[in-house]
Parts: sequence; C-alpha cells; structure tokens
Amino acid sequence: MRLFWREQAPLIFMYAGQLLLTVYMCRLSGFRNTNDLIYICMVNTALFAFYLIYRYIRHYRFYRRLTRPLLSIDESAEFVGNAPLADALGHLLQGKYRLYQNDIQQYRKKLNDHITFINQWVHQMKTPLSVMHLAVQNETDPFFDSIREEIDKLEKGLDTVLYTSRLDAFEQDFVVEPVHLHQLVGKVVAEHKNLFIRNKVFPEIQVDDRLMVMSDDKWLAFALGQLITNAVRYSAGVSSRILISSDIRGQQAALEIRDNGAGIPKQDIKRVFDAYFTGENGRRFGESTGMGLYLVREIASRLDHHVEIESEQGQGTAVRIWMGITHVQAS
Amino acid sequence: MFSILIVEDDLKLAQLLQSYVEKYGYRAEAVQEFDRVMEVFQSIRPDLVLLDVNLPRYDGYYWCRQIRTVSTCPILFISARDGKMEQVMALENGADDYIAKPFDYEVVMAKIKSQLRRAYGSYALSKRERTVECAGLVLYPERLELTLSGKTVDLSHKESLLIETLMENSSKVVSRDYLLDKLWNSQQLVDDNTLNVNITRIRKKLSELGVEEALETVRGAGYKLRPFWREES
Repeated sequence: MRLFWREQAPLIFMYAGQLLLTVYMCRLSGFRNTNDLIYICMVNTALFAFYLIYRYIRHYRFYRRLTRPLLSIDESAEFVGNAPLADALGHLLQGKYRLYQNDIQQYRKKLNDHITFINQWVHQMKTPLSVMHLAVQNETDPFFDSIREEIDKLEKGLDTVLYTSRLDAFEQDFVVEPVHLHQLVGKVVAEHKNLFIRNKVFPEIQVDDRLMVMSDDKWLAFALGQLITNAVRYSAGVSSRILISSDIRGQQAALEIRDNGAGIPKQDIKRVFDAYFTGENGRRFGESTGMGLYLVREIASRLDHHVEIESEQGQGTAVRIWMGITHVQAS
Repeated sequence: MFSILIVEDDLKLAQLLQSYVEKYGYRAEAVQEFDRVMEVFQSIRPDLVLLDVNLPRYDGYYWCRQIRTVSTCPILFISARDGKMEQVMALENGADDYIAKPFDYEVVMAKIKSQLRRAYGSYALSKRERTVECAGLVLYPERLELTLSGKTVDLSHKESLLIETLMENSSKVVSRDYLLDKLWNSQQLVDDNTLNVNITRIRKKLSELGVEEALETVRGAGYKLRPFWREES
C-alpha cells in the first residue's frame, strides 16, 4: 500500500496542480459561477479516485510481490497479475526462474553423477583390496603385519569416502529403528581389532546389554568407528585402555568413548567438529584428514542425536553420543 | 565330499577362494565363462554356490533366480556393496546369506560350514576329523586335544587356536600381532596379557608332553615353534 502511494504521488500532485490551474484559468477568463466550478472539481476528483482504486485493484498482486521478500526461488515464478506492467515483470521473473532452474538442474545432475561415480569407484577398489587382504591373511611373518596395516588403512579410507559422499543423499539412506547398542559396539570393536592390536591399545566394553536406542545401525557404526579410531590413535604409546560405556539419563542414553591419551589442546576443542580441521593433534600424530569428528557430528545431527566432547590435554578425551531410548529390557 | 561352485569375475579372488576352500577339504570349481554359469552348474551339481553380484553380462541376482529354478542348494552372495537394499535384493532373489567385501577367510568358511550344516544335516568334516600334525605332534582342534607319542593333554579353545597357528607355521616366526588377531576371532576381547598367559600355559602343556623349550620367544617379533622333538622320537 505504501509503495502504491509513493508510486502514485507525482501523478496526484500533477492532477492537483492541473485542477488548480484549470480553476484559475476559468476565473481569469471571467467564469464566475463558484458552485459550477466546485461541481466540476468534484466530478473530476471522483473520476480520478475511481482511476486510482481501479489501478490499485489491478496491480494489487504486483505491488504485494514487489514489497514482500522472496522466501523461496519457486515464489518468483508465481503469477503477479495481468496488467501490462505486472505481466512484463512476471515474464521477466519466470525467465530468470527458468534460467536458474536449468543451472541448478545441471549442477544437481553433475553432483549426482559425481556421487554415483565415487560410489562405483569405491566399490571397484574393494575387490582388489579383498584380493590383497586374502592373499596376506595367512602370512605369519611380521613383515606382513605392516602390509595388513596399510590394507586396513585403505579400507577405512575408502569407507570414509563412501560415507562422506553419501552424506549429501542422507535422507534416502537411513532408517531409524531400535538398535541393540551392546551388539553394535561388539561388532564395531571386532571390525577394528587390527587397529587395537597394532597400537597395543585394548578396549573395555561396559555397555548395558539391555539397552535399545533409536538410531540407524549403519551410520551409528560408522560414527563409532571414527571415534574408536581417534581414541586408539591418540592413546597409542600413552595408555593401553579405552573405555566404551553407556549411561542413561531419563529417556536419553549416551554412548561414551573415553581414552586416557593425548587429549585435545584447549584452543582446538571448539573447532574439532569443523570439516578439515586437524589442529595440533593432527600435526603431531599425522594422517589426520580432519573429517572424522565432522562426520560424526553431521551424522549425529541427522539422526537426531547429540554429541558432546570433553577433553583435557595430557589427560584424555571423552566423546558422548546422546540418543533416544526405545526401551531397556528387563533382565 | 561337498563341492562348491565359485562365480566371481575377479580371477585372483576366485583363485584365492578356491584354494582356501580346497584347503578345508571341499571340492571347489570356479566358473570361467560367465555366460554359461547354468551349464557349469548343471554339469557339476554343486552343494553350495558362492555368487558375486557384479558379473559380466548378467548380474548375480539373475543367476541366483536361474539356479533357484532347478536347485535349492545354499547360495551365498559376495559383494562389495554393503547397502541394505543390496542385501534385501540378494535374499529376495533366493540367496541364503550375504558377505560384504572385503571379508575374512574365517567368515567365509564359517558361513559355508553353517549353510552346509543347515542344508545337509551334519557337519561336512565330522566324518573325517580335522587334525593338524607337526613332526609327530598331533592337534585335534574339534576335541581340543594335543597328542604326542601316546600322551595327550587337554587344551582350552584359545590355547588350541594358538598352538594350531604355531604348528602350521613351525620353524617360522609368528608375530605377536598375528597371534592376537587369531585369538580375537574367538569373540572375546583380548589384550597383550592374554597372549602372554596363554603362551605360558602352552609351554606348560608341551612340557607335560615331554617337550621342553620348543616354543621360543623371538624378541621384538613373536614366537617360533621348533619341532626339535622329531629327532628324539
């Protein structure tokens, strides 16, 4: 409404000026009938008012479009009215919308192609890895321990790639259902047994066997794997135990991974969840991609979990994932 | 003897699987031409099929359905894809189980055994008990017994796993990490100390059999079993 008045203000002033001028001219030319003059003014003003009302009604959508902010790109393609100016604006906006849509479609397709490619590539790499894995599996010489270690790293690296690329398509790729926490922890720990053995760090599991949480087993297992890898890496040579335990508070259960390792420097702790952030420990321990904790928090937030981290340099680190409990079975 | 058909287009993987399966006393056959899977299947009539998902021409699901039209033998899928959908697809197409790459020999063998046991009633190998032999020392892994020249000692499961590994690699150094890895397969958590304790127990049991100092510690590397009792017996 305000825009409408501002837009019409010059016209109203112009009209008022013209009216005054006309009355003045009439007076000069000797027309003295004041009543008739007032009558003429009123009729003219009424016609002008009708014009303004008509214009306001026809351009109502147009003005509303112009004053309200766009909330989504789709709104810009909405109908803005069939008055010539509105129509022209509509065409312009629709044209722009189409162009952007095309661009977005193109990028979306490119991104999807890329994700598909990465997925395929990772799976292709897994067969050669299987071959290597099997080929050295029964070799007892200590030399093969280091080969196995490298194969292990390749596998974990490929998994991280796979899960990172899947993160964008997360919505289609997860099912929240009751997960038996103790079983899941056991499975993940077994998958990482070589990591534990190599680093001479061994896990202690104190997870309530009756606990069922609402989560997605695949993603939670992956996140837990990342946390275990971190805990072991920062414990190696300092401490030989990591503790995986559960805690229940009301309707929430926490899975805690606690190590007594190097800990995280104070200045780094706020940023450990940022992507590609490696911090001081990343420099000291090497092989850090800075993606582990980032992925953990991304996964947690999508699964509606909450992650907290507590650490003191030189004392160790504890990471907790809080999840909803479905039930605790009676023992 | 049970026969197993391996349908895997990665030749190296197929070979490795074949030789491993054969080591466990099964007959194994790997398919060479992937458009003739059914013909091979018909000609050897295997008791179990290991089937890859990604194959040239037709995929594993297709062959699984084909096999199901003529046979109810156990079919185990092997695949690099570990998604839920793939597993569901495999099982829906008639498979009995699903193994994701990369896998352990132990897992594959355990699943093969369990499928054979389910399908054909009894343990495939129980007719001929598995034994590990090294210079007269004989281990019966299923009985958890170790025998040497008439004398027998009982072992725990962990001790049996350890001595089996050491006997299979006698005169060679077996690294601590490798032994720990073997122990871990017994589902329980282990640590460095578990290994020390069990090695000590094995030494004691060997000495009960009259073998002293056969199990050597190789500093910084691992352990070595020297079958020097051979000369005596």
